[in-house]
Amino acid sequence: MSRWTAALAAVFMVAFFMSSSAVFGLKRAPGQGLETRADIIRIDSMRVFGQLEKPPVTFLHQKHTEALEKKNKNCSACHLSEKDKLSDKQRMSTKYMRLKDTTKQAVMDIFHDNCIDCHKQTKAAGEKSGPLECGECHQEQVAVKSSWKAIGMDKSLHYRHSKAMDNKCEKCHHEYDEASQKLYYAKGQEGTCRYCHQETTADKRISLRLAAHMACIDCHREVLAQNESAGPITCNGCHDSNEQKLIEKVKNVPRMDVKQPDFVFVKSVKSQDKASNPATRMNLVPFNHKAHELHNDTCRVCHHADLKACNSCHVLEGSRDGNFVTLAQAMHRVNVNQSCMGCHEARQTDQSCAGCHTSFEKKRQQGTSACQNCHMVPNSQIIDEVQRNEVKQAAAESLQKRQVVAATYNQEDIPETVTINTLMNQYEAVKLPHRKIVLTMVANINGNKLANYFHHEKGTVCQGCHHNSPAAKQPPKCVSCHGKPFNAKDPFKPGLMAAYHRQCMECHKAMGITKPVSTDCTACHQKKR
Amino acid sequence: MSISRRKFLGWLGAAGMGTAMGKTARAATNKDFSGYPDSNGVLFDSTRCIGCRKCEEGCNTVNELPEPDKAFSDLSVLDTDRRTTSKAYTIVNRYDDAGGNQGPLYRKVQCNHCLEPACASVCFVRAFSKNESGAVIYDETVCVGCRYCMIACPFEIPAYEYDRVLSPRVRKCTMCHPRIVKGLLPGCVEACPTEALTYGKRDDLLQIGRERIRKFPERYVDHIYGENEMGGTSWLHLSAVPFQDIGMREDLGTTPAPKLTSGALSVVPMVAGLWPVLLGGVYAINKRREKIEKQEKEQAVSEALETAQAAAKAEMAEAMKFAEQQKDKAIEKAVSEALEAAAKAAAEDASQPEAEDTDKKSSEEDS
Repeated sequence: MSRWTAALAAVFMVAFFMSSSAVFGLKRAPGQGLETRADIIRIDSMRVFGQLEKPPVTFLHQKHTEALEKKNKNCSACHLSEKDKLSDKQRMSTKYMRLKDTTKQAVMDIFHDNCIDCHKQTKAAGEKSGPLECGECHQEQVAVKSSWKAIGMDKSLHYRHSKAMDNKCEKCHHEYDEASQKLYYAKGQEGTCRYCHQETTADKRISLRLAAHMACIDCHREVLAQNESAGPITCNGCHDSNEQKLIEKVKNVPRMDVKQPDFVFVKSVKSQDKASNPATRMNLVPFNHKAHELHNDTCRVCHHADLKACNSCHVLEGSRDGNFVTLAQAMHRVNVNQSCMGCHEARQTDQSCAGCHTSFEKKRQQGTSACQNCHMVPNSQIIDEVQRNEVKQAAAESLQKRQVVAATYNQEDIPETVTINTLMNQYEAVKLPHRKIVLTMVANINGNKLANYFHHEKGTVCQGCHHNSPAAKQPPKCVSCHGKPFNAKDPFKPGLMAAYHRQCMECHKAMGITKPVSTDCTACHQKKR
Repeated sequence: MSISRRKFLGWLGAAGMGTAMGKTARAATNKDFSGYPDSNGVLFDSTRCIGCRKCEEGCNTVNELPEPDKAFSDLSVLDTDRRTTSKAYTIVNRYDDAGGNQGPLYRKVQCNHCLEPACASVCFVRAFSKNESGAVIYDETVCVGCRYCMIACPFEIPAYEYDRVLSPRVRKCTMCHPRIVKGLLPGCVEACPTEALTYGKRDDLLQIGRERIRKFPERYVDHIYGENEMGGTSWLHLSAVPFQDIGMREDLGTTPAPKLTSGALSVVPMVAGLWPVLLGGVYAINKRREKIEKQEKEQAVSEALETAQAAAKAEMAEAMKFAEQQKDKAIEKAVSEALEAAAKAAAEDASQPEAEDTDKKSSEEDS
């Protein structure tokens, strides 16, 4: 009798532990405590054959490569190779255990047979193995979080590659010859990969994703096989946001030579013969191409994919090639990276600039006097464009004429302290270290050419606080505009107390100044004696 | 008597049902109400709030509320999520910014002063009323303390003075109605150092809110909370993050609370007239149901017990029988095995002597 009860108890215990662990597993809150990985692949290859019957499989690529590596197996354990007709090279397919998606059944079998087989074998050998049941792989819920980040060829990476290859550009760059249907190298015509390889595979052009994985990993593997140091071949190596930071950056990259100009004029039309009445045209903008190269990691930042001049697609009235973004929009749009104003505005988020600039409305249109900061060369001065070099020379000269004012008023003209006598019913007067603040602000942007050129008056820096009045040595007092709060006739203007507090606090917050703490009244206001 | 009690009650009930079913949902509200013209409100801009609790202090002072346990300068109270109480008509809560690097976010909580207040719609003594100035105010002289208002409020604002034994009141923000009448600002608005609270005509506040969003589209969520929520509130909110991230309900919809209940409430007078009948009937029905339920329950329990016991007995007997059988089988098996072994041993014994004989012979030869 007692033996029976013991057996029953044992059965119940086992059942309890099994069910309880399942319950605990389900209880975990979504998104919390999930492992972050850069190698998550959602296998939905069957999508090419129509709607999926089961949820796609979340596959952790690096987990598999690491497990295979321990068994001295390499990529070929899962990926087949074939001779690429275009390049006459042996290329490894990115597909699993196949070169082509033939039929639905065949592809499904390839996955099921090979995956499950391998898992079975591993399990039989007594090692930790993958799932064998349908629902263990095909899961709607993803139990990992992605840390994947796109990677691109920046200047530093390109320089390191060309150096390692002894400047053999043909290792990567190629063109396609329609007649022989082969890839060939055309010297001097190197462009970015994105020029041909676009987001999706079309015709014979494989997608950028495919091209990059095949070319990069193939080459890295080849180099590694020769026991030399090479780039990553794992997912994380390129795509993990933390590991990306470990990629060596060359600080002073020599200028890449793709026959780009040093100085140009940004013009609405290419040559004068197409031009409308020159008298109604905007002043020309001289552009220092060379200096802008220094400030950007890739050419792509401004040139989208190919390296053509802006006005070849963005014409005055807009064109299909330019996605109907007109030349004026292409240069002036805010909130986009490629336009002049968009990029310059993005620079204003820098902590040394943000203090003043966050409180300004982002205006699409600035005052007319501001136009001439860039549109500085009257059209009549460049009448003839026969000589390209002369035009470039003219652009360079007009840029040299630019004055970069790196200063504000003389020290003695800046009041040392400003006493604020409001809130005297609760606190002592506040002594604002006015000169110290101004000098710190000026010092912060001292080396900033962009800021100092656009702050074109001595009083421009002052306008960060003394806003909405012309730049002047003695701007109006705050109280001239800000009085009692909630004036129904002027509803958008804050009252004096809020004007002071917000000016100080919002600027400090934007500039990352943590002291004084905004909620600590007595840090600024001395207690009333 | 020519009319039986049962018949009389039946007629009454039928009459009540008829009135209940004949009414449409619009009966109680009649028309859409978009607030009193030129009524006041407050716009709370959470991007300007620094979490200093000056508004709480201001509210406490002007309403002459008891001193709090922790001083208003003590910001450690922000570590916990708080609600309005009968001693604090407004509180500030802190929310950690989930996405951006803007630092913590703050939200001020107080009565939102709905254009069509739920608290007023459920109050059967009309202790709550929406004032033309915009405030929802409370009349303690008529309140019976049913606290329906506390259940009805979608923002969970009204609080009750549980500690006042003899004359407890419902407490909530009054939008400083007594001060507004005198031409003063609400206490919290006056105390706010950054104008995170803007006081004005509700229509102007909507304009101001829209203008702020237009000027700084990257700073705000393109929505003014309270413009339409629960049919609109006099207190409006701007935020840098989705409102639910700063603890505000986004599931309330735009229908004012009274409209939701107008269908049911329209029959309230009739129900009130019929209450003796109704309550009496309900009582009788409940009583009877309880009785039947009790009987059924007892019966079911005894039946279940019996069957369970029988089943357990049968099971046990079966198990014992099975065990017995097993035991018998085992014994049989053991016996047969023993017998077999014995037979085998006997057979072996029979053949053994011969071998011994030969051994003996050989040994004899040796010797």
